[in-house]
Amino acid sequence: MEPILQTIDLSKYFPIQRGINPFSKAKKFVRAVDGVSVTIWKGTTIAVVGESGCGKTTLARAMALLTKPTAGDVIFNGKSIINGKTNLKQVYRDLQMIFQDPESSLDPNIRVGNSIGEPLEGLMGWSKAEVRGAVDKSLAAVGLPLDCVDRFPGQLSGGQKQRVAIARAISPQPKLVILDEPTSALDASVQAQILRLLLQLQKDYSLSYMLITHNIAVAEYLSDFMAVMYSGNLVEYGLTEEIMAKPRHPYTIALISSAPIANPWKRNLLQVEIRGEVPSAINPPPGCKFHPRCPYADGICSRQTPKLEEVSQGHFVACHFKEKTA
Amino acid sequence: MVAGNTEALVGIVIVSSFIVLALAVSISNLFGIQITPYDPIAQNVGPPLAPPSFGHLLGTDVHGRDLFSRVIVATPNDVAVGIIVVAVALAAGAMVGSIAALRGGFLDEALMRFTDVIFALPALVLAMSIGVALGPGVTNMMLALMIIWWPPYARLARGEALRVTHQNYIEAAKLSGLGTVKILFKHVLRNIVVTMVVYATLDIGTVILVYSGLSYLGLSVRPPQPDWGEMVSSYQDYLITAPWLPILPGSIIALGVIGFSLLGDGLRDMLEALK
Amino acid sequence: MTNLLRVENLSVCYESRGGRVTALDKVNVDIRSNELLAVVGESGCGKSTLALAIIGLLPNPPARVLNGEIEFKGTNLVQLQPARMREYRGTQIAMIFQEPLSSLNPVYKVGDQIAEAIIVKKSREDGHAVETEFMQKTHKVTLPSKVPKRPRSGKRISAELKQEIIASLKLVRIPDPEQVIDRYPFELSGGMRQRIMIAMALSQEPALLVADEPTTALDVTTQAQVLKLMRELMEKVKTSILLITHDLAVACQVADRVAVMYAGDVVEAANVFELFSKPLHPYTEGLLSCLPTGSKHKVDLRPIPGSVPDLRSPLVACKYASRCPHVMKKCTEKKPDLIEIREKHEVACYLHGEKNGTDTANN
Repeated sequence: MEPILQTIDLSKYFPIQRGINPFSKAKKFVRAVDGVSVTIWKGTTIAVVGESGCGKTTLARAMALLTKPTAGDVIFNGKSIINGKTNLKQVYRDLQMIFQDPESSLDPNIRVGNSIGEPLEGLMGWSKAEVRGAVDKSLAAVGLPLDCVDRFPGQLSGGQKQRVAIARAISPQPKLVILDEPTSALDASVQAQILRLLLQLQKDYSLSYMLITHNIAVAEYLSDFMAVMYSGNLVEYGLTEEIMAKPRHPYTIALISSAPIANPWKRNLLQVEIRGEVPSAINPPPGCKFHPRCPYADGICSRQTPKLEEVSQGHFVACHFKEKTA
Repeated sequence: MVAGNTEALVGIVIVSSFIVLALAVSISNLFGIQITPYDPIAQNVGPPLAPPSFGHLLGTDVHGRDLFSRVIVATPNDVAVGIIVVAVALAAGAMVGSIAALRGGFLDEALMRFTDVIFALPALVLAMSIGVALGPGVTNMMLALMIIWWPPYARLARGEALRVTHQNYIEAAKLSGLGTVKILFKHVLRNIVVTMVVYATLDIGTVILVYSGLSYLGLSVRPPQPDWGEMVSSYQDYLITAPWLPILPGSIIALGVIGFSLLGDGLRDMLEALK
Repeated sequence: MTNLLRVENLSVCYESRGGRVTALDKVNVDIRSNELLAVVGESGCGKSTLALAIIGLLPNPPARVLNGEIEFKGTNLVQLQPARMREYRGTQIAMIFQEPLSSLNPVYKVGDQIAEAIIVKKSREDGHAVETEFMQKTHKVTLPSKVPKRPRSGKRISAELKQEIIASLKLVRIPDPEQVIDRYPFELSGGMRQRIMIAMALSQEPALLVADEPTTALDVTTQAQVLKLMRELMEKVKTSILLITHDLAVACQVADRVAVMYAGDVVEAANVFELFSKPLHPYTEGLLSCLPTGSKHKVDLRPIPGSVPDLRSPLVACKYASRCPHVMKKCTEKKPDLIEIREKHEVACYLHGEKNGTDTANN
């Protein structure tokens, strides 16, 4: 398998301004993403899971160059894309994104057809006829009727809007699509429709997906690989099947056991034991950020941040006491 | 929807009457046709200081000039100044504010602090100084007002634009390879224009009032050319003896301001209902 | 188990310029004592309207109760005057909402807000004597009305009251309660705020707690903690909980009984194990097969085709007819009633029960 995108020690810090001098250098930072290295393999889906504040959305935006990384590298299609010389239009022909909120994904004053055709106008420089043809194809691919072309987003339902957003993202026929919580704002039945659609499109267009989500069930369903993030760090990475069956990082164990299972005989929720809250992103705990809440934490955990190490073929965990969860 | 809102209806009626009148007067001036019952600057067309009557609907002034004709002919001044100043302020402010919001960072700081500086200058005093420097006249007053009127629009535009730039469709536009300028014109401006137009409509009344004030101070037209503010000034001595002279032009100014305010209120209510 | 609250034939509509939207269409549902009933449904099904109707907080206008009853401990809540309803709300029937930041007053400390809840409860028990005494001591004010005034600063809370506040915070497992008392709501996380809401609601020892999507805005791990807490407190305080949620999985985890709503109707209501193993209504079946319960290689997601009908047009027929794989002619003519098919398992569908269409719900 070859990688389509790789991040190497990617970091994004947001400076916090204290005081009234707008030119003073910030002394404190929000460490949204703190040295994350992850690989997305061609043709597969990786789910980046975590709770609020873990940095998954910032990671996605940094990868898509919507925000400038503070440190580290992003290698896409074999080339580093974070230097100033990158031709963004070239990158975006192969890398697109779908956002969480279908309401704000479409300009309410622009017709659906024009929204879908926007990447084609901006990135390909096609003629109007060519664009129109491609837009019709995209609409058909996402299962929307062709007469949607002239409608305004306000006339569509949430699920339909999300389909339009998907049609827009696939119209330049990208290689990698980043999906930022694509179904979180949708009802269960609409979510199912969109998930099936995403799977179908992946087959038809040979797409690679990076799925950002806090919903473990959706992550398990859609993804081949899983990366678990906590407070800006990658704490576990491996095959989804393996992580769901045998999570090794204490946080992953807590996360997966907290995900409600639709089965009244398996009442995992009432057995969950997790203390505390997500730590501050400005003043994280020293050493391993999870150690104040970890049932296995001991001496070294508060002094040294653990590195990702392989525990079995392709399965990586960042924990000083991995053997305790074997 | 409009019919249910009497305020807006009244506002529309008043504003359209003013605009139609202003256009009629301007066009007639262009062709040298007189549409008023009497020549506005001709003296002694009737007995001096005559109260309103059928012959002279608003009476006459001390020089025997027909007040009604003078008031009508002065309409384009206030209306044009009101609308043009606001239009220019809207356009300039929208540009400044939305560029600041879209680009952020140093450009944002720089533009907004420049806006603050202009905003801090005392409006009337500045207009007066420009009036003294350039000389009196309607156009010069319009210019003076344009220079100082745009900062609130920049602030408003920036606030609205910030809201818009956080929407996902702006990010999608970036992912479509669109540059800042293209995003500005295609997405940002269209989505902020509505709120700004409501504010602008309400603002026209204020401009009319300020311009009338400048005209009252003698900075606009020179007599015998009629202008509402100037008329209030030159007729104020007759407040007791011939009250119709200062009061009627003043009331017309008030009516204009009320009309635009009602229109602005009505527009805002309509927009609230649409949401 | 006896019925604590009974909703019978309740119809609620919203009047808007676009027409009249029927949010609840002759809804029947009961809550027994000491049970957690989950009302599950997708957006627009009317579950929030049901919650607001029970607690008497329907925005009026535009909402209107067309007919029906809500019987609680022998009283019909629908017909109560607002003043009388206030005596139930907050004391016998408490409510917590989805977004705790807007339920807590941001300018008062948390301790003061809990103190208010405790004082209100005590004053209602003692016939306002406690509250009047408290207000006279701390604020030197004699209250003419029955509405308690909010204490202004943490320092004026008596030691006794402080202990009670700490006790209620400990009940909801808030760490460092002595510190939390002096915090403002914005200084706390979503999970902590929601727990404080639960503390305030349960300090009244209500018979029924209505929770409208209490964990939707929370992280997964926090959600697990809060749901577990609610379940445990239910046993301790002997209260019933009406949990409104769109997440069937959450319902499976904590509920005793589940009622499924669709487009303003209750289409099925049963014990959670029954519902899950033997779903009777095609919508329930559809909903269950929509849930991703495993990897894409193993699970075949079968989404429900079509979409929810427009609630503005009055529908006499079964609202699910346009999407139902088993639709029959009579489904498009008249809506089936909710009837009990098996022991405590009700469903509104012509597929089940020949008597349907002539009987009304019998519990």
